[in-house]
Amino acid sequence: MSERNTIESRLGQDSLTSPTAGLPYDPAPMMPDVKVLKIGGQSMMDRGRSAIFPILDELVLAKDEHKLLVCCGGGTRARHIYAMASELELPTGVLAALGGYVPRQNARMLQMLLARHGGIFMLHDDFEKLPLYFRLGCIPIMTGMPPFGYWEKPAEGGRIPQHRTDAGVFLSAEVLGVKRAIFVKDEDGLFEDDPKKNPGAKHIPRIGAKELLARDLPDLVLERIVIEYLAIARSCHELQIINGLKKGLLTRALAGEDVGTIIYKD
Amino acid sequence: MNKLIAEDGRTHIASTLMGESLVDRRVLARTQSEREVRILPDVALVSLGGQSIFDRGKGALLPLVDELAVVSKLHKMLVGVGGGTRVRHTLSIALDLGLPTGGIAQLVGAMEEANAVFLNALLAKHGSIVMPREHFWELPLYLETGMLPIVISTPPYHFWEPPTKGGPLPTHGSDFGLFIYAEVLGVERIIFVKDEDGLYTADPKKHPEATLIKKTTLGALLADMPEELILDRALFEAWKSSRHVRRVQIVNGLRKGELTRALAGEDVGTVIEKELS
Repeated sequence: MSERNTIESRLGQDSLTSPTAGLPYDPAPMMPDVKVLKIGGQSMMDRGRSAIFPILDELVLAKDEHKLLVCCGGGTRARHIYAMASELELPTGVLAALGGYVPRQNARMLQMLLARHGGIFMLHDDFEKLPLYFRLGCIPIMTGMPPFGYWEKPAEGGRIPQHRTDAGVFLSAEVLGVKRAIFVKDEDGLFEDDPKKNPGAKHIPRIGAKELLARDLPDLVLERIVIEYLAIARSCHELQIINGLKKGLLTRALAGEDVGTIIYKD
Repeated sequence: MNKLIAEDGRTHIASTLMGESLVDRRVLARTQSEREVRILPDVALVSLGGQSIFDRGKGALLPLVDELAVVSKLHKMLVGVGGGTRVRHTLSIALDLGLPTGGIAQLVGAMEEANAVFLNALLAKHGSIVMPREHFWELPLYLETGMLPIVISTPPYHFWEPPTKGGPLPTHGSDFGLFIYAEVLGVERIIFVKDEDGLYTADPKKHPEATLIKKTTLGALLADMPEELILDRALFEAWKSSRHVRRVQIVNGLRKGELTRALAGEDVGTVIEKELS
């Protein structure tokens, strides 16, 4: 009988199905100085000009000081797609693939507005060109959605994909070795209840991922899976949520100030 | 019919999810369904192991190529392949270099694609074709014309591979990737062709006393999960919340005819079934 023809290596005979926690590993970060940020879909893009133009002005002022990777959320058109696809009983992977179109549109919109300042639209496949874009002084803009598409896992409790644009933004920061990802939304961050429905809800300036998960809230400001990943993340240890409708907050967040809410790895 | 609503400064399209937080469990529950569409029913997915089959070369591969040439005319099927020893070598070097998890995930798929090209070179005369991921919706075309699509096994998580508790290696490998491919298409059964008679209570290559699990259910397996597995752990995790895959079978590709018998519905090797809820 023919034998397995293997290359000698540390994992040469490994089935790769057992946990690998014990292996020596000294991570080499890719681009830890990049600022990874997300412009919300429903919270920012769907407000149009009045919300977007001031944010872009802040980005343009910051771009020579910081390497900015701008990612986009989906918003109401994505909700319309998910609602239709759910009614048609389509599987989660198809919802994820369909849900990818909207944040891509939003990224293209921002690119058109930022083109004269070096805004450049990039696909997932262009990720390795980031150093070039930064060297040229560009502002790369991409979808926040990770590229899972048809390969998205079905989730318990519903058919909306678990990995949406918050997840993609967090995972982009994680692979680049960036410590903090910034989410620009239309609220001051995390509250003890939905501030849109309960204006008296108390603001939470800082909270640990495990602590937040332990509260088991029915609703969260970011995708639940991102908080779960944060708890075990290797590089991205902080998620900052800021209010993009308040002038100057993005600039302060980019300068490293703890405005809004910080969810940290505890 | 479609209304635009802009009362709160955001322009919404009227829909059942309008203005909702897609994180809210109560909202998510409204999208639950027991009757999800099966996109390509009556298709089987067959996976040829990397280390277990490809790395053995001609002796193991050519008899399976002959078998596939015959059975692919009897069943509508998709084939996927594993990467084998070159994947392990890639991982070893990448780990030593300290590359991030997502960076490692970006690399490994290439070794599996190479095996897909090997298989296609041998099976092309019988109608096989390598399916790039972007050609997802061309699958019905190939199946209807009687071709044998060879799909890319590694899921396209790439730089965005999620972190895990266990260690820096990516956990969404080729077994998982094929599983999820089957799941989204509504494929009910997957047959993994390996070099063992099936799933054992421990790795039989290291523990000769290990016993073969002939038939079990996903529930029973999850309750008493072996330390070493013949398939990706992530596959079993994903199977818990999947809607379509009912049967995962592991057969010995070194025994002539086992794949053919499995495709005919026989309980050869290990059969794992998911209980209908």
